[in-house]
Amino acid sequence: MDELLNRRAFLGRCIGVLGTLIVAMLGGIGGRYVLFPLFQRRREDWVDLGPIADIKPGSPMKVEFVQRRHDAWMTTERRASAWVLTPNGKDFVVFDPRCTHLGCPYRWDDERKQFLCPCHAGIFNIDGGVVSGPPPRPLDRYPHTVRGGQLLILPNPTPAAA
Amino acid sequence: MKLLTWLTERTGLDQVWRVLFGRHVPEIKGPVAWLYTLGSAALFILVIQVVTGILLAMNYVPSPDHAYDSVRFIDAQVTFGRVIRGCHHWGASFLVVLVVLHMLRVYVMGAYKYPREVTWMVGVLLLLLVLAFGFTGYLLPWDQKAYWATAVGTNIAGQMPGLGPLLVKLLKGGEDMGAATLTRFYALHVLILPIIMALLILGHLFLVIWHGISEPPKRRRVTRQD
Repeated sequence: MDELLNRRAFLGRCIGVLGTLIVAMLGGIGGRYVLFPLFQRRREDWVDLGPIADIKPGSPMKVEFVQRRHDAWMTTERRASAWVLTPNGKDFVVFDPRCTHLGCPYRWDDERKQFLCPCHAGIFNIDGGVVSGPPPRPLDRYPHTVRGGQLLILPNPTPAAA
Repeated sequence: MKLLTWLTERTGLDQVWRVLFGRHVPEIKGPVAWLYTLGSAALFILVIQVVTGILLAMNYVPSPDHAYDSVRFIDAQVTFGRVIRGCHHWGASFLVVLVVLHMLRVYVMGAYKYPREVTWMVGVLLLLLVLAFGFTGYLLPWDQKAYWATAVGTNIAGQMPGLGPLLVKLLKGGEDMGAATLTRFYALHVLILPIIMALLILGHLFLVIWHGISEPPKRRRVTRQD
């Protein structure tokens, strides 16, 4: 500081410093508010399909459920289903109920032990692999986990790669 | 610095700066000088209201289905949402206080007199606008307080002789308060009122600079002539 810093210059600097502080504070808070989505984790809407004891080993079961989904301030409910199967009551496989060809709902044929899609005669085996027909890839699978004896799945509308 | 010179030569920014900030102001000593900051303080709060209002609009929906939930979303989920909404809420009250104090100062000091009558009139309109902002903004959270306050407010408008019932219908956007009331108040609050406000403030500020700040009233020595 030299002698050039008279009263006027000093006050001018004070205004500058205070102004910068105010703008920085507002900008910081407002900026963080705007950038909120960047820090937001995707909320996973897991669905409880019930106790694992209810799922009989062997043939696949079609399970209907209601998924409650959270979208910012909105909560929407979606009716959906999934194919669940377990070879031993411990390991589970959950299939997206839509054929990987064009999204038709397929069914389980208990005699042939295959999944049949009625639209274009796509056929999948019990592991979801394509047996014949137009489907380009095996059945999509939903992520799942067992927590406290309950089977939880994450049925994303866009199928997660299994 | 070179860029600044380049720009100044082409735009006359330095002259604009001199007119805006290099003008002469009356020399006032003591606490009275603080009274001259009320207008600037109101302008500052208004800027805060604009900034926080724009931020709030990012997460707000003016629909009976979503208004309350989206406000709760701002409060509970969005980072600093409560701070931003708090600023807007308290700023609104504070702005009314500041604008009224500003008016009182101008009135008590007689600063509204010739040649500043138009500045005064525009200022009165601005005061009414601030109140209109407060009234329309109060409904937007769509909670019980907001709903019934607006019911009372619109009913008061209905007491106007002759035009009352029409005015209520116009304000509510129908016979009853509902979705149309909310969207109307929202449009008023974020589109119509801000445009009028911006134009009037520009006019008000222009007149303030055009006329200069008024001198505070002085005590004149009384000479007895008896």
